[in-house]
Amino acid sequence: MTHALHPAPAMRHYPPGETVDAVVIGTGAGGAPLLARLAAAGLSVVALEAGRHWSPERDFATDETEQNKLYWTDERLSGGEDPLAFGKNNSGIGVGGSTLHYTAYTPRAQPDDFRLCSDFGVGADWPIGYAELAPYYDELELFLGVSGPSPYPWGPARGAYPLPPLSLNAPAQLMARGCESLGIRTSPAANAALAAPYYQEGFGWRPACTNRGFCQAGCSTGAKASMDVTFIPLGIGAGAEIRPECFVTSFERDTAGTIVGVVYVENGAEQRQRCRHVFLCAGAVETPRLLLINDLANASGQVGCNFMAHTGLQLWGQFEEMVRPNKGIPGGLISEDTHRPADADFAGGYLLQSIGVMPLTYAGQVARGLGLWGEALHAHMAGYNHTAGINILGDCLPANDNELVLSDELDARGLPKPLIRFTNGDNEHRMTAHAERIMRRIWDAAGAGEVWAFPRNAHTIGTCRMGADPSKAVVDADCRAFDVPNLSICDNSVFPSALAANPALTIMALSLRTADRFLQTRGKAESAL
Amino acid sequence: MDAAAYPLGTVLKLIDSDLVTPPTRRALKARLQLPQVEAPRFFDDQAYAMLGAVCARLIPQRERRAAVDLPGLLDARLADGDGDGWRYATMPRGAVMHEYGLMGLEQTAEATFGSSFVRLSGDAQDAVLRAVQSGGAVGAVWSLMEPARYFEELLAQLVDIYYAQPLALESIGYAGMADARGWQAIGLDQRDAHEPAPLAALEGAA
Repeated sequence: MTHALHPAPAMRHYPPGETVDAVVIGTGAGGAPLLARLAAAGLSVVALEAGRHWSPERDFATDETEQNKLYWTDERLSGGEDPLAFGKNNSGIGVGGSTLHYTAYTPRAQPDDFRLCSDFGVGADWPIGYAELAPYYDELELFLGVSGPSPYPWGPARGAYPLPPLSLNAPAQLMARGCESLGIRTSPAANAALAAPYYQEGFGWRPACTNRGFCQAGCSTGAKASMDVTFIPLGIGAGAEIRPECFVTSFERDTAGTIVGVVYVENGAEQRQRCRHVFLCAGAVETPRLLLINDLANASGQVGCNFMAHTGLQLWGQFEEMVRPNKGIPGGLISEDTHRPADADFAGGYLLQSIGVMPLTYAGQVARGLGLWGEALHAHMAGYNHTAGINILGDCLPANDNELVLSDELDARGLPKPLIRFTNGDNEHRMTAHAERIMRRIWDAAGAGEVWAFPRNAHTIGTCRMGADPSKAVVDADCRAFDVPNLSICDNSVFPSALAANPALTIMALSLRTADRFLQTRGKAESAL
Repeated sequence: MDAAAYPLGTVLKLIDSDLVTPPTRRALKARLQLPQVEAPRFFDDQAYAMLGAVCARLIPQRERRAAVDLPGLLDARLADGDGDGWRYATMPRGAVMHEYGLMGLEQTAEATFGSSFVRLSGDAQDAVLRAVQSGGAVGAVWSLMEPARYFEELLAQLVDIYYAQPLALESIGYAGMADARGWQAIGLDQRDAHEPAPLAALEGAA
């Protein structure tokens, strides 16, 4: 039993009155790696997490409705011409954040993703690039136990993945069949789920993936590298305190504007944690929302601006063969032949992946996307076991009208609900049309019937842009806020552009780099004294 | 009819076996044992009767193995304030949305057929629902709220309730809850031993 294999390390506790070196707000892909790094360097660290600290084996059911507890369900308002679904689509809660429900898909961004503006004259360049992140990609793939193909067919040369790829499920086999007949290169994808048992420093042995296919509703075995079975135990072992069910509402500052304490609500009572530095890692909705509520770090007026969401069209089909799309790692197969397509009439590019799907998720898409009801709904759902999908994950340009603002509706805490306006631009429309043509050809070649497209955007990105110019960005290249001396922001909100890759691995890489840069400059400041 | 597609009784048998993990069994049994709602907490009686008639057209359950109390479970969700984390900014809050929506369906029924929705034939009820889904419904309420968006929200909520039921999942041949030992046969046309095969395939093999 994992309880015996993984005794929770004794956790250090800091009294709120003690001034700790760092308070980390949020424990997902942005907060967890850096809190472990800071603690390992000997800093006193307290992490405040809005959600609970689950025990996956005891608490996670193979049931989508029960697992709604992993999603951020405080209401957000979706505006614009392409209003986004939040909750289970892109927003997590709990120790581990959205990595509790991510699909474990861990492609690297490619070097040209970071210089979209230089290459195409649109979007934004990052102030750092692939070279700065590559050592962290290497470190993360080894630490998390990423299973993937070696060599990887696209992008710059790199070392081998520590584990071979996971077995292909039926949707992956179908996409391979369709792509092969069209001459599109495919490969088993890189996934942060284990092809073999793996020793996790600070945690113990994690078992190989058992093909439950429930990654998006929580991994009950520890095979998926969510933060709660990787960086969180590593951080606790190094002396960090994780304080779950603590919702941060405001900050105490001195006359110089330095943050001296973080104010949060725990069990209905307001608490304060004194600190020397704050790392805000609450994701691209709650991070800007907290800053706007407190009028913090926003001299540029850029907080909330440039909200982005990946193009994420899904194409479904039903096949003669039995598919049973609930089994196996959902995103088994990838192609990056469309990263910079020769016939593109758009900037940037996208990747293609096969997708399996859980039944309630699929039924919800059928309701919203196809609008089927009555006997037609039953007839379509009777083909669930024969259903497989292809998905794209493509760049999204920042746009003026796409933004997060505070609405005038208050939530149960009395705080304003966020309003997110999102409209796909011409570039996203052209990219999606290009992708849909290719995906339909792939599914035709693979023998699909009942083919239909579900329009969708994935992930929450932007709102606290990283940049070199304090008048146009919220944080610098080291993720330090321009306007507050001791505030860093590290999550998907700092992305200047969306990147044609699923964001989790890059967020984790930024997180480790943010910690290292902080420790380097802190070291210099101390030796100067 | 679903009775012909996959064998009956497979999921209930699996739930009690060690192929289902304890937390999964707890969640599924609790849902199977939910009592039929006797008195709505969120809707008034008239709206609740109307909702029942709407549910019967959107997700008909005659001759189906799952008997899901769709209006009762939707009423419970709304009374308990369970949300899914977002709503269209152009739509009113959940309570007002359903109040408007059911009122609008009634107005469309009256304007089109001169009768209350609950007294219409199934075909006429479907015509009202199609008008709302396509956004072209007649009725004063629909100037306050987009009919097509309301239809989408209502249908998505009901589908989310219906396919949460283990017997509804059984009817589409799903046995994913029985994964305590994981899955081995994950490729095309493969089946793990405890997954149900379609009845037609069994008959074909006999």
